[in-house]
Amino acid sequence: MAPELLLDSNIRLWVVLPIVFITFLVGVIRHYVSILLQSDKKLTLEQVSDSQVLIRSRILRENGKYIPKQSFLMRKFYFNNQEDGFLKNTKRKVVPPSPMTDPSMLTDMMKGNVTNVLPMILIGGWINWTFSGFVTTKVPFPLTLRFKPMLQQGIELLSLDASWVSSASWYFLNVFGLRSMYSLILGQDNGADQSRIMQEQMSGAAMAMPADTNKAFKAEWEALELTDHQWALEGVEEELMSRELDLDGMFSKELPTGIF
Amino acid sequence: MASVSEMYDVTWEEMRDKLRKWREDNHRNSEQIVDVGEELINEHASKLGDDIWIIYEQVMIAALDCSRDDLAWVSSPSDMSSSSEQGTCLQELKRQFPGSQRVKRLAGMRLEALEKYEDASKQYDSILQDDPTNTAARKRKISILKAQGKSAEAIRELNEYLEQFVGDQEAWHELSELYINEHDYGKAAFCLEELMMTNPHNHLYCEQYAEVKYTQGGLENLELSRKYFAQALKLNNRNMRALFGLYMSASHIAASPKVNATVKKANVKYATWATNQINRAYQLAGRGTKENKCSVKAVEEMLESITMS
Repeated sequence: MAPELLLDSNIRLWVVLPIVFITFLVGVIRHYVSILLQSDKKLTLEQVSDSQVLIRSRILRENGKYIPKQSFLMRKFYFNNQEDGFLKNTKRKVVPPSPMTDPSMLTDMMKGNVTNVLPMILIGGWINWTFSGFVTTKVPFPLTLRFKPMLQQGIELLSLDASWVSSASWYFLNVFGLRSMYSLILGQDNGADQSRIMQEQMSGAAMAMPADTNKAFKAEWEALELTDHQWALEGVEEELMSRELDLDGMFSKELPTGIF
Repeated sequence: MASVSEMYDVTWEEMRDKLRKWREDNHRNSEQIVDVGEELINEHASKLGDDIWIIYEQVMIAALDCSRDDLAWVSSPSDMSSSSEQGTCLQELKRQFPGSQRVKRLAGMRLEALEKYEDASKQYDSILQDDPTNTAARKRKISILKAQGKSAEAIRELNEYLEQFVGDQEAWHELSELYINEHDYGKAAFCLEELMMTNPHNHLYCEQYAEVKYTQGGLENLELSRKYFAQALKLNNRNMRALFGLYMSASHIAASPKVNATVKKANVKYATWATNQINRAYQLAGRGTKENKCSVKAVEEMLESITMS
């Protein structure tokens, strides 16, 4: 087994805890800064209307089985008809908002970078420089030797187990680990939530962006073409009458009185 | 006059939570809201913190409903509190949020309450100029038309509104009500279908739809209505109206001369089942006491008189 190292308790006091505090406070500051720098997103009427139409079409697909067949077909016809179906024929003027042409997108991106990525790099580097040369903590699971140069920055010991990590990796652990703390204290949707922002950047193409309206319409059209009407109410009477009605507690003597 | 907290022995936190529950459930119990909210505002304003603004909005709308002008907008110093004079709901909101569109809408509602419909309409138009996607202002304009009794125009405007905002369930329900008042049951059924699709587990929409179909009449519609009454019952076993509706539609189909024997037999079976359930329910309600024995008997006789052999 790997030798158990006994770390100076000063490390705990002066390294582990300060890094936690620093990470947390920086996160809180980032949240408030992002609120200050937030620009208003104005939606046009057309965008709102289109997004609602898409929702309606999706609901028709999913819950169409609760309405009579005739009504379902009527709506499907309205959406998908060859000559004048809404999904088939509505073409929106598409201006793909690339970062170069659209100035507001550019500033948004810059603000996003400044608030999130920059502090992380700066503080990560500063911590690496300040708290270098010693082992900070041990991760509870065994790691292979490949992780050594990544996690043990500044410690030049070949025989040291890769589980022992430096303060820089403790800092990164904190950045991701404190996410749930932020939700607790700052509420959902807070600006300090780094990983959520990174996720959003990756899935940005999947969001309801105006450039995709035409594609979204086409996708809905195809999906709706494939949907069939399976009426959920075919055997409803039989199902209902297979057992007695559950009338328990229907007529209780306690009537609600007044406000409270 | 005893205050709410004295009458019910509740703390201000419970009153605030009750107001929040009413707000979230969209209740229209305006008198209760005014009673509870007025006391909260007068006595406990400092403890509420930022909650007070949304309570002002809620109480103001309720006050307009109850014609409580003093609370809604006219300023009057209260005798209860010895501290500085009481602003009223709208004044306080205007002071705190000048230039807010939500407050503008409340000012418009106040004009509506005074029946100054043109001024209110102009107010809403100015909101819409700033922000064309503001749904609240549009809906208030439609309510003005409804209040003036111009239901045909209201229907037209509401249709246009729904073309833009297809997902607004409140609007679909309002439109279905307007159509029912105009006896245009086909279109009302369309609106209710939209609602049923977005809320498949809501037994009330199923039941309303079934009632509209029953009113339309005709064999197909009666069959549909029977099915939807059954669905409403399936979703909520205690919906007595749906139970009676099931009974009525089944017996009407059975009584109709155009059906063949199998359909008639099936519907008689449904009707008898419904009768049994109704009897059960009335007996449960009565629990065999003397007064209720009469009403149970009355129900039985009524059911027997409708039943065809």
